[in-house]
Amino acid sequence: MRPSTFAFLLGAAVLGLMPAASAQEKGGVIDVATIGEPPTLDAMVSSTDIVGMISQHIFETLFTFDSDWNVAPLLAKSLPTISDDARTYTITLRDGVKFHDGSVMAASDVVASLKRWMVVGGRGKQVAENVASVEAVDGNAIQITLKEPYSPLLSLLAFNNSAAIIIPEKTIPQDGGVTPLATFVGTGPYKLQEHKPDQYIQLVRFDDYSMRDEEPSGFAGARHAYLDEIRFVPVPDINTRTEGAIAGQFAFADTLPVESYERLEAGKSEPVLLEHFGWPIFVMNTKEGLLSDMRVRQALQAALNTGDMLAAAFGDTKFYAVDGPMYPANYAWRTDVGVELYNQGNAEKAKELLAAAGYDGKPLRILTSRQYEFHYKMALVAQAYLEQAGFKVDMQVVDWATLVQRNKKPDLWEIFITHSPFLPEPALNFILSKSAGGWWDSPEKEKAMAAFTSTSDLEERKAHWEEIQKLIFEQAPIVKVGDFASLSAKSPALEGFRPSPWPAFWNVSLNDKQ
Amino acid sequence: MIRAALNRLIGMLTVMLLVVTIVFVIVRVTPGDPAAVMLGPEATAQDIEDLRARLGLDGSLIEQFGSYVAGIAQGDLGQSIFLGQSVGTALWQRAEPTFFLTVFSLLIAMVIALPVGIASAYWRGSLFDQTMTTLAMLAASVPSFWLGLLLIQSFAVSFGWFPASGYGGPGTTLLERLHHLVLPAVTLGVVSSALIMRFTRASMLDVLNDDYVRTARSKGMTEWRVVLKHALKNALIPILTVIGLTAALLISGAIVTETVFGLPGVGNLIVSAVLRRDYPVIQGALLIVAGLYVLVNFLIDMLYLLVDPRVRY
Repeated sequence: MRPSTFAFLLGAAVLGLMPAASAQEKGGVIDVATIGEPPTLDAMVSSTDIVGMISQHIFETLFTFDSDWNVAPLLAKSLPTISDDARTYTITLRDGVKFHDGSVMAASDVVASLKRWMVVGGRGKQVAENVASVEAVDGNAIQITLKEPYSPLLSLLAFNNSAAIIIPEKTIPQDGGVTPLATFVGTGPYKLQEHKPDQYIQLVRFDDYSMRDEEPSGFAGARHAYLDEIRFVPVPDINTRTEGAIAGQFAFADTLPVESYERLEAGKSEPVLLEHFGWPIFVMNTKEGLLSDMRVRQALQAALNTGDMLAAAFGDTKFYAVDGPMYPANYAWRTDVGVELYNQGNAEKAKELLAAAGYDGKPLRILTSRQYEFHYKMALVAQAYLEQAGFKVDMQVVDWATLVQRNKKPDLWEIFITHSPFLPEPALNFILSKSAGGWWDSPEKEKAMAAFTSTSDLEERKAHWEEIQKLIFEQAPIVKVGDFASLSAKSPALEGFRPSPWPAFWNVSLNDKQ
Repeated sequence: MIRAALNRLIGMLTVMLLVVTIVFVIVRVTPGDPAAVMLGPEATAQDIEDLRARLGLDGSLIEQFGSYVAGIAQGDLGQSIFLGQSVGTALWQRAEPTFFLTVFSLLIAMVIALPVGIASAYWRGSLFDQTMTTLAMLAASVPSFWLGLLLIQSFAVSFGWFPASGYGGPGTTLLERLHHLVLPAVTLGVVSSALIMRFTRASMLDVLNDDYVRTARSKGMTEWRVVLKHALKNALIPILTVIGLTAALLISGAIVTETVFGLPGVGNLIVSAVLRRDYPVIQGALLIVAGLYVLVNFLIDMLYLLVDPRVRY
C-alpha cells in the first residue's frame, strides 16, 4: 500500500470512529444544587421560582415561551383560534400525548386541570375573574369563553409558576381543589421517581414522552431528554453551594454570590452569568399610611440614587445595570418613556415635595430581610439617601417568612423590598395588581390596564404599555432599582445548557469532560 | 433504685407536658405564616387566607392545640405542611445521618479529649498541659460553621477527598453515605472535644492528690494503673455527665453543622421547618429532641447510681 493511500485510509478510519462534534447522546446523571427544598411540587399552587424550575421538567402547560418570549404551543397543537370578539379561545390539543401513568391526555383532563388552576393558583384566580366557561368541545379540543377580551390569557396559560399545568383528571381531588395533590403525574420529559425532602428530588427520563417536532427555541419546540436522571439537591447554605460548585460536585449550582465569580473561574465549574436576570423592587404601600400620598412617594423616588444602591449590592458593573425602563433592551416591551424620573438622587427636590405634602417626620418603615443579602445592602444605602432628604427611616429587618406575612398587612409597612425576573408578559407582574404588592389602584392606571389587556394587537399593546410605564414613574407605586445579573455555575461537561431565569435540563447532555 | 427511677419518670413527664405547651404557644405567636411562605411575596391576602383554610390552619388556637395533644396521645405527631409526609416519617428519615454524625463526632471527641485531658492533669503545668489547654480553648471558641467551611475548602475543594455537602443520592451505599459524614463529624468532634477535655482535666486534678491515690502508689502500683484504674474511675462522674450532655447537645446542636454540610438530619430539618414555619415539624422535632435530652439525663442519673454507690436520690 502506498503511504498516501495508507494515510488516507487511516484518516478516514479515525474520522469514522470520532463522534460528530455536535452530537448529543443519551445517558448520564446530573446533580443540580438548588437554593433549598421547594415548598411544594404542585406548580399550580406556588409562584416561587424554585418550584417552577423543578416542576417544569415534570409538568407541561398548553403553551410556553420561545426564545423571543413569544407564546408558542406546547401541549396545544398550535396557537388557539380566537373569535372575532376576542372572547372565545378554541384550543386544539395534540394527539396521543401520554401522562407518566400511561394514560392519554384528553380534553376532559385539560378542562379539569384548568378549573383547578382557577381555584388554587394565584395566576389562575387572576384569569378566573374574567372566565365565563371552560369546556371540552370534542374529544380533543377545549374552549375558553371570556366575559371580556383579555389578551394576557395565553401568557398566563404559558407561564411555569403558579402554572396552568395539565394533569390527569383522576389525580385531582374531587373537592374543588381543596386537598393538596397526592401524586405528581405530568406529561413532561422527566417523571418524578423519588422525593426525599431536604435530600434530593430524583427525576428520570419518561420514555413515552410525546415530544414536539419543531427545533428547540427557548422553552418551546423539541425537548430531548438526553440525561437519564436529574437530581435536584437542596443546598440552602450559599457558601456550601459555592464550594461544592468550585469542587465540581454539582453539574449545575443555582444562584451563587457574585463575589465568588473569580473563584468559580479558577475551580472545576464554569461561571454562568445571566445578564438582566431581574430587577430589585422597592414596593410602596399606596393603600394606607405615609405613602398613600403620591407626593411623598414622588419625594422618595426623587431622593434615591439607585446607581449607588446597585453598586453597594452587587459591586462590579458586570453584575448590574443602572437601567430605568421596566424591560431590558431585548424585550418587545422596552420603552424609555418616563425614565427621566429614574435614579434622580435629588435631595433638594425630595425636600420640596415633602414640604408640599406636609410631611411631619412620621417614620418610614422599610420592611426587608437578609434572606437576600442584596435587598439589605440596598436598603442601607436607601436609608442614607432618604434621611438626607428629610425622611425619618425605621428599618425593619425580619426573616423572610415574617416578611411575606407582614407585607400582606398595609398597617405594618411603607416599603417592602423584593425582586422579580423580567416576566414575558407585563400583565403577569404583581405590581400592577390592585390586590397585591402595594395595592396600586388609580383611575389612570386602571384605564390604561383595561386598554392594555383588551387588545391582542402587539403594536397597540406596546402603546398602552408606554402609558403604563409612564404612570409607574409619575405615580411612583414602586421604585425599580435597576437590573441585576444572576450567577450560577455549570460543569464543563454539561452541553446544550441555556441560561434562563428558570434553568431547564432537557436538551442538555453530558460530554466526555465529566 | 426503682423508687429513684419512678421519681425521675414523673419529673420527665411533667417536663414533656411543659415542652408540648410552650413549644406550641411559641411557634404560633412567632411572626410568619406557612401559607405566606408557600405562596411568596407576590400573593394577595385572599390567596393566603384560601391556602390557610386548605391547610387547616384557620381553626382557633384552642382547637389546634386540642387536636395536636390528642394526636400526640395516639403517637401521631401530625403531618408536615411542606414535605408531603408525616412528621414521624420525616424525623425517622433524618435519624440516620444525625445518629451516625452524633456517634462519630462523639467518638472523635472522646478519642481526642480523654487521653489529652488525663495527660494534661497528670503533667499539670508542663508545656504539654499549657499547649493542650490553649488548644482546647481555641477549639471551644471556634464557630463550627467556620471550621466546617475551612474543612470543606481544604479537603473537598483543594484535595477533593470528601464531598463538600449532602448525604449521597439515590442508591448510595451506607459506606458512601458515611463518607459524606467525615468532614462534619470531624468538625463537631473537634469543637466538642474541648469541653470534654477540660472537664476530664479538672476532674482528674481533683482526684490525683487524694489520699487513696497516694496509698495506691505507696502499695507499689504502676503509675498507669494508679491513674487509669484508681484515679480515673473516681473522676468519671463529671466526665460522664459532660459526655452525656454533649451527646444530647449533638443530636440537636448539630443544627449549624448539618446546615453547613447540607446533611438531611434532624438539625437541618428543624432549621428548614423554622424558616418556612412548618408548625407540625417544629413541634414534633422539638418534642423528640426535648424527649432525648430528658432521657439522656435520666440515663446519666441512673449511671451515677451504678458508678458511685454513695449517690442517693
